[in-house]
Amino acid sequence: MPAPAGRSIVPKAIRFELRLALRHLRVGGRQTLLTVSVVAAGVIIVIFMSALVFGLRQKLTADLTEAIPHITVQVEEVKPLPLAHIPGAATGASSSRIEQQASQQKYLDNWSQAADIVRRLPSVRTVAPAVREQGFASKGRHTVGVSVVGIEPALQDEVAPVSKYLFTGHYLGLSSEEIVIEGQLADELQVGLGERIRLTAKTDAHATFTIIGIYNTNQGRSEAYVTRRMAQSLFGLGTSVTVIFVKVRDLFEADHVAQHLTALLPYEARSWSREFPGFRASLRGRSAIVYLISAFSLISSSFAIASVLVVSVLQKSPQIGILKSMGARRRQILWVFIFEGLGVAIVGSVLGAVLGTALVYFLTFIRQPVTQMGQVSEQLFPVAVLPGYIALAMLAAITSTVIAAVLPARRAARLNPVEVMR
Amino acid sequence: MRDEMHSANGHVATEALDASVSLPPIVVETQGLKKTYGGKIAVPVLRGIDLQIRAGTFVAIVGQSGSGKSTLLHMLGALDMPTAGRVLINGVDLATLEEDELALLRSEEIGFIFQFHHLLDELTCLENALMPITIRHGTETEEQRARVIRLLQRVGLEPHLHKRPDEMSGGQSQRCALVRALANAPKIVLADEPTGNLDSRSGQEVFALMREVNRASGVAFVMITHDDRLAQAADRIFLVENGVLQEVEKK
Repeated sequence: MPAPAGRSIVPKAIRFELRLALRHLRVGGRQTLLTVSVVAAGVIIVIFMSALVFGLRQKLTADLTEAIPHITVQVEEVKPLPLAHIPGAATGASSSRIEQQASQQKYLDNWSQAADIVRRLPSVRTVAPAVREQGFASKGRHTVGVSVVGIEPALQDEVAPVSKYLFTGHYLGLSSEEIVIEGQLADELQVGLGERIRLTAKTDAHATFTIIGIYNTNQGRSEAYVTRRMAQSLFGLGTSVTVIFVKVRDLFEADHVAQHLTALLPYEARSWSREFPGFRASLRGRSAIVYLISAFSLISSSFAIASVLVVSVLQKSPQIGILKSMGARRRQILWVFIFEGLGVAIVGSVLGAVLGTALVYFLTFIRQPVTQMGQVSEQLFPVAVLPGYIALAMLAAITSTVIAAVLPARRAARLNPVEVMR
Repeated sequence: MRDEMHSANGHVATEALDASVSLPPIVVETQGLKKTYGGKIAVPVLRGIDLQIRAGTFVAIVGQSGSGKSTLLHMLGALDMPTAGRVLINGVDLATLEEDELALLRSEEIGFIFQFHHLLDELTCLENALMPITIRHGTETEEQRARVIRLLQRVGLEPHLHKRPDEMSGGQSQRCALVRALANAPKIVLADEPTGNLDSRSGQEVFALMREVNRASGVAFVMITHDDRLAQAADRIFLVENGVLQEVEKK
């Protein structure tokens, strides 16, 4: 208690309690240090876990946002219905014949109008009309089934990037006689840059292309990119396309936008989530794990604090008796121990926040080893430092510590001074 | 009329004379004080104690270990509650006070000295001595601080104001505890074997200081002691035996 009657921001009513609590902590030395570390460890765990999981979530989201079209607009596939699902069909009726599927129009003939409608939606970022058809790629004796995509390279790069994954050659500036193929396809055909391959459509129409680029997304989709004009003529589509790729601003809004588009257009709009149904659930599951781990680490650290404070109260029992005999009220004793807990909590959580953030920061320097030519080295641990979450972790640590302090403090305040001074 | 005046004056004069002649006010009083420790078998410790202590009196309480001396002292200081009977401090019945009011009473009217100095290790000598004031008011005024420092000087602790109890001798610590008991200028100091844990020279010193403060400021002292020489130096001596209190003639 150094300053006598000095001005202080601490209200007079609690000044003695606060001073004594701080003095306890200072004199407590190793024990105080231990308690502070327990709180700090809890906060570090929470920050660390959340940084990892939310970082992974952000990265997955970003990757997905970038790598795939969010919505594909195409002609709705007509699928045969089981008889039982057809209203009015005689009950018990059965069919043993599989009818030849009626020929369907597979292309969007008024696509530029449709693209305009899509483009006008505020949540839509990019619209890329394209031709996507199945065909065969052949070189010499090798023939491989391939998905041929006819695009405008610059526009398509915004929807499903290829340039980024090129490991040789180029993609932008693709001309009509040129083709960019996936690495695995190149392996199967045993071709390299500059060689020529032939694409054949189901109609037997064919054309030859020079390979000007090979890319590798590690996603195993065997695609070959040619110009949209070339694809239209190869597959006999005239000026039509078969699909409109759409990129929206918010990945998680895609379902909503797709529904809206299906209503607006005479075509079917499919959201990415129909292709990756587990993705959203797994993100949600990971977040739940973080909340669980956070809660448990906070609970266990508050148990640790409570036990340390219980011991501290036992040790200080004689002192509590003395304070009472000197006229200290119950509430004053209570406050001494609550302040003690609060001091531990504040120092511990600030320390934990600083160390946890530093740890997460250092993690960002660890890079993935480069295993493939042309691969850009990425962070081994994608992390997210979320100030809001850190603040929340600190607040939770402080709250749980104070709650853990209150119970022993109440016991301390109730002690009978005569009992404890014997 | 003149007679009436005279008689009235005379009456007033008599009253004034009575007051000046009569003894100082009673600061501590017990009426039929009983204490029984519970459990399956009730153990009566004090069986009905009537005691009156006037301001400025130095009382020594003697008796065998376990005779209930400390229990009596704790009840006088509102640290322990009687099973039956009443304790009045300055005429206030302790049984009528709430817990916080008792705390206030302990802080303002009573000072405690224990066998072990019971200073707080976390605080310096000066801070310990100021503690009753800081507990009560949050912080001390310059005046209160100066007063406590003067008291510490008087008991010879000036060189040790900023030392911790573990850096001080037993006698020094007990003198600091004495100043602490006096910090709030109480009416009565309750001392439970204050010299019991000291060598005889330090014990003598502490006792002499207590007596000196008692004479100078008129604070009543109730001191439990096993030391007959110290008891003989008190104003009154009481013996607690078989749960009853009886005054012992000084030799």
